[in-house]
Amino acid sequence: MEFSKFLNSSSKLNILLIISFSISANSFILYPNINNAFYVLFHLTLIYLIFYHYHYYLYFVAFIYGILFDILLLNNIGVHLITFISILLSFTLLRKYLIKLSSYQIIIIYFITLVIFLLFEQLLANLLYNYKINMSSFFNFILISLIIFIPTVFLFTKLDK
Amino acid sequence: MAPKFQIKAFQFSTLVKNFIIISIVTLSFFLVFFSKSDLYLINGVKNISSSVIIPITKVISAPINAFSNFVDEYNQFRSLKFENKILQEEIIRLKKWQTLAIQNSRENKVLKKLLNATDNNLILIKTASLINRNDTIYSKLINLNAGYEDKIKKNMSAINERGLVGKVIDTTSNNSRVLLLTDPNLSISVKTISDGIFSLLSGKGDGKYLVSSFVKESKMPRLGDIVVTSGTAQTFPVDLLVGKVTKVEKNRFFVLPFVDFENIDYVQIVTSK
Repeated sequence: MEFSKFLNSSSKLNILLIISFSISANSFILYPNINNAFYVLFHLTLIYLIFYHYHYYLYFVAFIYGILFDILLLNNIGVHLITFISILLSFTLLRKYLIKLSSYQIIIIYFITLVIFLLFEQLLANLLYNYKINMSSFFNFILISLIIFIPTVFLFTKLDK
Repeated sequence: MAPKFQIKAFQFSTLVKNFIIISIVTLSFFLVFFSKSDLYLINGVKNISSSVIIPITKVISAPINAFSNFVDEYNQFRSLKFENKILQEEIIRLKKWQTLAIQNSRENKVLKKLLNATDNNLILIKTASLINRNDTIYSKLINLNAGYEDKIKKNMSAINERGLVGKVIDTTSNNSRVLLLTDPNLSISVKTISDGIFSLLSGKGDGKYLVSSFVKESKMPRLGDIVVTSGTAQTFPVDLLVGKVTKVEKNRFFVLPFVDFENIDYVQIVTSK
């Protein structure tokens, strides 16, 4: 508990990013849903950081994780890097409109962004590297998102006090 | 003087921020554009991720891995009695097959001597163990604990006791990455043992089956035909076991690989003589 006092919520969320990245990049062949859940959690955490803790260092974060995810999961740089950078750029452009929204509207946009994020990655993987759009995998991601979304938002708001 | 200085400092920091953001975006597009090329920068980035990042992610995910292994062992322990019964029946069945196999092996040796045939067309480069795998989301990749210091090179074949596992696509000093047969981006030229029908196979995308993308002269194999590498594309050595035809449609057929991709611990990196 003493240690946690030294860390602000942004640092805690960054630690969560590292953990979720590490777990999603190591396949657990008997329980693939562990990988999928942490993959979704990584996206949720990144969007939360962009929405509530926006800072230009996030471009570095998106750049590094984008490259690492691409190399580890696809062996080619592209899909995640483009998605992460474009979501940051779109947020920078739309920030002034998002600030005017209520907290409920933001939460809905948060979830919609996550779904778009996951769909966009599937589309890019198909366009750039010939990976077929796997709808069962996509719906699995959506189902996991629905299950973990509320607890994750609750955890994040607790972290933010 | 003070407010003027503050305005200048603010402008400078915004300028630097914008410059950094533009640089990152430009660098990202550069990396994406040249991702498939053999540039030193791209290879360097790939090497760092294989040799540095993978061990770090493995350490961080160790508790989940330990938990997953514990649950697996508990489940295995529960089904021990049932498995024991099955195995006893299997032993009786296999003993009958063993007698037959010894007879066939003797016969085979004699026939080989008569034909003056060589035993093997493969050179074993290295037997490597699996350090981690990335085959749940998107591509089907495994990482091995041997690299170019062990004379492993790009495009060499990875096999195990059951047959062809995949192809080496990247090597660093002590690590290499193997693209599994079940990846949709790996094509292999194959032929059937019985009829010698040539075709191209690639992963279906579900991680289990291979599907034909081209069949020479549109001749379809029969259900149950054994498929081996043809060696025509010179990527894989000839006659490596691939799988068995399980479904035949009008213009394509499906193959179930012999290799159990969920239980790979060791692979052999080989090349043709």
